[in-house]
Amino acid sequence: MRQWLIGLLGWCAVSALAAPHQHEPPVVLAPGYEDLQFEPPSAGSYQLPSMGEAADGLILDTSGNAGRLHDYLGDKATVLSFIFTTCNDVNGCPLATYVMSGVQKAVLKDPDLVDQVRIVSFSFDPEKDIPSVLGRYGDQFRAEGFDWEFLTTASEDALRPTLDAYDQWVIRDYDEEGNYLGTMSHILRVYLIDSDRRIRNIYSTSYLHADTVVNDLRTLLMQ
Amino acid sequence: MSRIFIAALGFLMMAVAPMTLADETCMSPYMAKIVGQEDYVYIWTLGMEGVGDGEDKLVTVDVNPDSKTYGEVVHSLSVGGRNEAHHSGLTDDRRYLWASGLDTSKIFIFDIYTDPAQPRLHREIDDFVAKTGGIVGPHTNYALPGRMLITGLSNNRDHGGRTGMAEYTNDGDFITSVWMPTDDNLQGAVKSGNYADGYGYDARALPRRNVLVTSSFTGWNNYMMNLGKMMGDPEAMKRFGNTVVIWDLHARTPKKVLDVPGAPLELRCAWGSRSNYCFTTTALTSKIWLIYEDDAGEWQAKAVADIGDASKIPLPVDISISADDNHLWVNTWNDGLVRLFDISDPHAPEQVFEKRIGEQINMVSQSWDGERVYFTSSLLANWDKTESGGEDDVQYFKLYNWDGATLTPQFSLDFVEMGLGSPHQMRFGAHALYGKAPAKTGHDDMAAR
Repeated sequence: MRQWLIGLLGWCAVSALAAPHQHEPPVVLAPGYEDLQFEPPSAGSYQLPSMGEAADGLILDTSGNAGRLHDYLGDKATVLSFIFTTCNDVNGCPLATYVMSGVQKAVLKDPDLVDQVRIVSFSFDPEKDIPSVLGRYGDQFRAEGFDWEFLTTASEDALRPTLDAYDQWVIRDYDEEGNYLGTMSHILRVYLIDSDRRIRNIYSTSYLHADTVVNDLRTLLMQ
Repeated sequence: MSRIFIAALGFLMMAVAPMTLADETCMSPYMAKIVGQEDYVYIWTLGMEGVGDGEDKLVTVDVNPDSKTYGEVVHSLSVGGRNEAHHSGLTDDRRYLWASGLDTSKIFIFDIYTDPAQPRLHREIDDFVAKTGGIVGPHTNYALPGRMLITGLSNNRDHGGRTGMAEYTNDGDFITSVWMPTDDNLQGAVKSGNYADGYGYDARALPRRNVLVTSSFTGWNNYMMNLGKMMGDPEAMKRFGNTVVIWDLHARTPKKVLDVPGAPLELRCAWGSRSNYCFTTTALTSKIWLIYEDDAGEWQAKAVADIGDASKIPLPVDISISADDNHLWVNTWNDGLVRLFDISDPHAPEQVFEKRIGEQINMVSQSWDGERVYFTSSLLANWDKTESGGEDDVQYFKLYNWDGATLTPQFSLDFVEMGLGSPHQMRFGAHALYGKAPAKTGHDDMAAR
């Protein structure tokens, strides 16, 4: 994991490493970076009741082609996370990408899952995460041939309805003079979406773990 | 903003929210935290007949000492009628405050982010009983990722204590419900003692252990009954919860029913990233109970301290755990005292301080740093002390500063004199949570939105 984190730091370096807080407590890594600390309920032994429809929205793929989010939902079980590549909180977007890498690894090993699962990483920073930047970011993590899509949007106006629909609250950080610090605050949310485009689970920092997500994917596909 | 260290700002938000921070200090740990000075306290307040408009209301008090309106009620939003306003809770993104009514089973969702100084009613849920398949008395509103967990106190079949829990999306759409395990239907749980009563009250989650803990109180028939009448009814007094249930958090299935006799009410879990235990207090037997995972990985319950003299029925109500897990404030409604216990050894709490706050003290909330402690007075409309001609029926919101040795009063608001009602649960608000500074500084930086 250590090497992986160092890799992420390369991405952090390009962010405007503003340090609005000088006396932060030491960061405790989220559970998703460790081995799962409990025996999860067996796949298929529990329910994942629908939390409603997964919304559509405008997107750009990493080649710059315009499309819709629903083009990437509905045929497979999908794990959707909202990220931005310059995110410098180790327990935020890097955690999401780290866990998605773990999901990818597990799914690749499981012939029952490998063609049934997609991961979508959706940027909420259209200004910095232009298609080419996001494409290079994705290349760091996507295994050869795995269905892991990296999506962005053309503008804040194109992005906002999607964030609103997914209840993804994002605040840009400013200093006391009103200057944008280049960072954003958000509640990390990762969405499990079934092949009928229904949201079946939402994970946040304390809940997000590759083993749990894979367990849920298996549960979805058993129903 | 320099004085307002909000966990939600900058990269601190996600980094510390899950594991290292205490509540201000009694909520879901998986949400943004106010780690500095809070701007507002939102007080879910029972309407009192003949007091003001008589309606339940959300009262907003300015508690920032730098503000010109410090210590004043700056907003009051009535919801129409009385619902037995009781508990409230914030969504994980802290944009909405859910406040529920134990009598009508209504839930009011307030938008507190558009203008933190002036909450507005966003949505009202009035079909809770029908949607949940008969759960009555929504109590705890507890944030889980993207959703709210609502514990019930009763049911629509006999209005007794058997009840369940429900889940809603943050938008207020019903997801699912589950009933508490009973002798008739343990749902796969292990009954470890004498009881599996199916009662409910509070809930807390420990995601890293995949554990949800629930406690148990009493049903609608009792909590809506006059207190004196109930105390004189031996049959009614038998109908109190005696259990704490350990659940599989992910599967939402009960795993173990623990005996905790005497109505275990509020649950507060330790914040330490390796601390696998929670506290509760029993209203009828006046004890602190430790709910803990033992060395073998089994969850257990044991009484670890007495709260005053149980024979005098002090009636412990709300509790509040400090950010460092070393102290627990315990309010006792009947004698008006707050007690502080040293819980640095969770198996052997020791009382280190007590002070009389006032008649029928009930809820307690402390700031992140533990330096400010807020109290309110009301328990239940039909249990508050109305028998003695009203002299004891004082209704207040009080702030004290705590320096580690002394509670020093800062201000006190008389909620009857002000025409507001009976104040109950308190939740904190701050402009900086939403990227906003108070209007008084003229700093509103939400341009991106």
